[in-house]
Amino acid sequence: LYEGLLRRMPAPDAPPPSNRANTPYQPQFATADEMKVSKDGRTYTFHIRETAKWSDGSPVTAHDYAWSWMRMLHPETESEYAYQLWYIAGAEEYTSAKLEVGAAVEVELADRPNRLQTFPRGTILRGVLKEIHTPPGGDEKAADAATIYGVEVDGKLRSFCREPTADSRQTVEELQQILPDFAATVGLKAKDDHTLVVTLKNRTPYFGDLVAFYPLYPVNRACVEKYGTPGFTRAENLVTNGPFKMQFRRIRDRVRLEKNPYYWNADEVQLNTIDAMAISSDIAALNMYETGQIDWTTNVPPTIIPDLRQREDFHTAPILSVYFYRINCSRKPLDDKRVRQALNLAMDKQKICERILRAGEQPATNLVPPGITGYTPPQGAGYNVEQARHLLAEAGFPEGHNFPKIEILYNTHETHQALAEVVQDDWRQNLGINVELRGLEWGTYLDAQNKLEYQVCRAGWNADYSDPNTFIDMFVTDGGNNKTGWSNARFDELVAGAATETKPAVRMDLLRQAEEILIDEQPIIPIAFYMSKELVRPSVQGHSLNAMKIHPLHLMRKRKASGAAAP
Amino acid sequence: MMFLLRRAVWIVVTLWAVYTVSFLLMRFVPGGPFASERQMPEAIKRNIEERYHLNDPLWMQYRDSLYYVVFKWDFGPSYKLGDFSVNDVIYQGFPVSASLGILAITFALFFGLTAGVISAARRNTPWDVVSMAFAALGVAIPNFVLASLAIVVCVFWLRLLPAGGWGTVRHLILPSLCLAAPVAAYLARLTRAAMLDVLSLDYIRTAYAKGLSERHILLRHALRGALLPAVSYLGPATAAVLTGSAVVEKIFNIPGMGSHFVESALQRDFTLSLGLVMVYTALLLVFNALVDLSYALIDPRVKME
Repeated sequence: LYEGLLRRMPAPDAPPPSNRANTPYQPQFATADEMKVSKDGRTYTFHIRETAKWSDGSPVTAHDYAWSWMRMLHPETESEYAYQLWYIAGAEEYTSAKLEVGAAVEVELADRPNRLQTFPRGTILRGVLKEIHTPPGGDEKAADAATIYGVEVDGKLRSFCREPTADSRQTVEELQQILPDFAATVGLKAKDDHTLVVTLKNRTPYFGDLVAFYPLYPVNRACVEKYGTPGFTRAENLVTNGPFKMQFRRIRDRVRLEKNPYYWNADEVQLNTIDAMAISSDIAALNMYETGQIDWTTNVPPTIIPDLRQREDFHTAPILSVYFYRINCSRKPLDDKRVRQALNLAMDKQKICERILRAGEQPATNLVPPGITGYTPPQGAGYNVEQARHLLAEAGFPEGHNFPKIEILYNTHETHQALAEVVQDDWRQNLGINVELRGLEWGTYLDAQNKLEYQVCRAGWNADYSDPNTFIDMFVTDGGNNKTGWSNARFDELVAGAATETKPAVRMDLLRQAEEILIDEQPIIPIAFYMSKELVRPSVQGHSLNAMKIHPLHLMRKRKASGAAAP
Repeated sequence: MMFLLRRAVWIVVTLWAVYTVSFLLMRFVPGGPFASERQMPEAIKRNIEERYHLNDPLWMQYRDSLYYVVFKWDFGPSYKLGDFSVNDVIYQGFPVSASLGILAITFALFFGLTAGVISAARRNTPWDVVSMAFAALGVAIPNFVLASLAIVVCVFWLRLLPAGGWGTVRHLILPSLCLAAPVAAYLARLTRAAMLDVLSLDYIRTAYAKGLSERHILLRHALRGALLPAVSYLGPATAAVLTGSAVVEKIFNIPGMGSHFVESALQRDFTLSLGLVMVYTALLLVFNALVDLSYALIDPRVKME
């Protein structure tokens, strides 16, 4: 539906697609037709093509991007992916509304047309923050509401407060929101209608990947401001800038896309209608594929994979996703590194891949999946029962004597359960320890994981961008996605060092060193690298496998047009 | 008239009680509504909670939501389906489930009553044995087995009907038959038992003595008396069938309400499951009231009190 400045597409020199191998994809020009990066790698200048249009016919401009990213960063938007823009200078401070006396601020008055909608915003006054006066006492919320901000606007000092009292209303104006001045402090400027200049905090080699990642696609300002959120996403209101527009959307049924005639590259788009079906059961999807109701499905039941592997229309290749177990390092005896290593060594991952996952997944000895350009992942220890027993004995549990019972937690799903049963068996037979299994519904499972209320817990991670950092930086001390209680100063140092390192090779080396520490310390047990498993009818062309499971629909076509094409 | 009024008041009171209990129950299960594998920075999390008023004290949340439900007929946004409101979900899902359900109930009535009457009238003949064997199977075979069998036979062997999805009448047939099977089977057994009771009564003997045709006696006199147990079973059964079945919807990939029931509870979608529970409760109460009303129409001995 939407399109970013860049988008990931098959590389121009890519070989013809194969049903057993990935096609190389890379970010390529989409709405932008030119990108200049400054020497220090911190300033990106995008030129937006003059022909880019929204589905209502109006032009796509640099202002649309500046506004969309501002909206994404705005604290009231609550964007779950706001941190993907925090690579831009000043962006994180804007989202977290970090105010400093003497800094430029923007004050939004309490005159929004609709108080429940953040956009359109009320009157914005720009000035310099001179003083913050917080009345003593009261809880945090009350204090915040009563805080008075002195801001110099156009040479005049004015006072603002979220909830002025009846008395203070004479001198204090009511404010809706006070934030760092976006135009002055955030490194994002629309120079003219077609030029967007972005200044980053540090050199970020994968910023191009981020720009090609869907959260950074633009939204139509007029549409959002007219219908509000979430009203603007209704099919009858939605204005988009991609190859397709939405005709309708029905829950648990389908989304129907139709070709967007205003798309700048509309001549290239071959499909007129696409139905994206919502099918919750893999078996129902398979039935519908086999009876010709759908043309393409991206998931199949594991039990029939051995049969499907013989078929030409079954497409499978490695993807940048890893299946792993977290170990709660804050609990005895799992706080002992030797115990964690023993658990890893005593797990037959080859068997798991062959008997449970069955789509040719590779056993994992490290966290970062293979296939990221420029990065050679370190090799961890493989299956070695002898050494595992030795380590466990060293840790004070010879033959597993006196080892407390441990529990493997997973979110309820056939595959996770079957896999955990294999692990349970391995650990019992190889180490002589007692293992129990517990399946939990998704929400409760996440909750237990977040609160470290587990011993060993199943997890998975997909790459957000094609860089080892997307996997490794999860495990910094107290990181939001660490969830193991593990902490290592040297590891943190290496990850932080990599973030500011300018030489790509050195940077990759720092990340590699960090990952080496991670797999030696073993707060996680990597198990397998996932495979894509898709059924694609031979009449569908323009489909190609890739490591991030991205499928640009505008490149697809169907031989012999037969009315509506299913997904 | 008094009867209707009293029933209406009771319905309202029951709905209110169900609302209150479900509201409290859902707030006290573990696992926050916005837990997600990608853990968000604290500020963002707080914003999400604020938007849904999760920071307000419980009684205020209760009061606000009750006000919206009663006066604006608005169950609020769904916690999990981001840009759909609970009303959207119900408006989209209910017609699907309802059309499926009406067809299913029609099938069930037709097959159930026919089988019941035939096996009672031809007691201990092969007709009776075959009908009751089917009825036993219908009750015993779980939905998902029946649905899978139906797909293998009708879709893959006979190539008659589509495997799943929604859109044309052809999509309706298999799932509604699967929904109808247990109801029809149960109806057949109820009808047969009740018919046997009625057929031994004096007034039926009188009818035979008057020389009326067997067909007339069975359909006009006996069936009317034998309908009562079937009708009282039909009230709750209709409410259940109309609100959909998660299993059948999943197998045939139908966008009905049944899956929402299960999913919303599993996903801790507070507002959505509350809305669905209310719809189900309302349907159940209304159909039970209709059942009571119909007693009077079917059996003159029943008086409204």
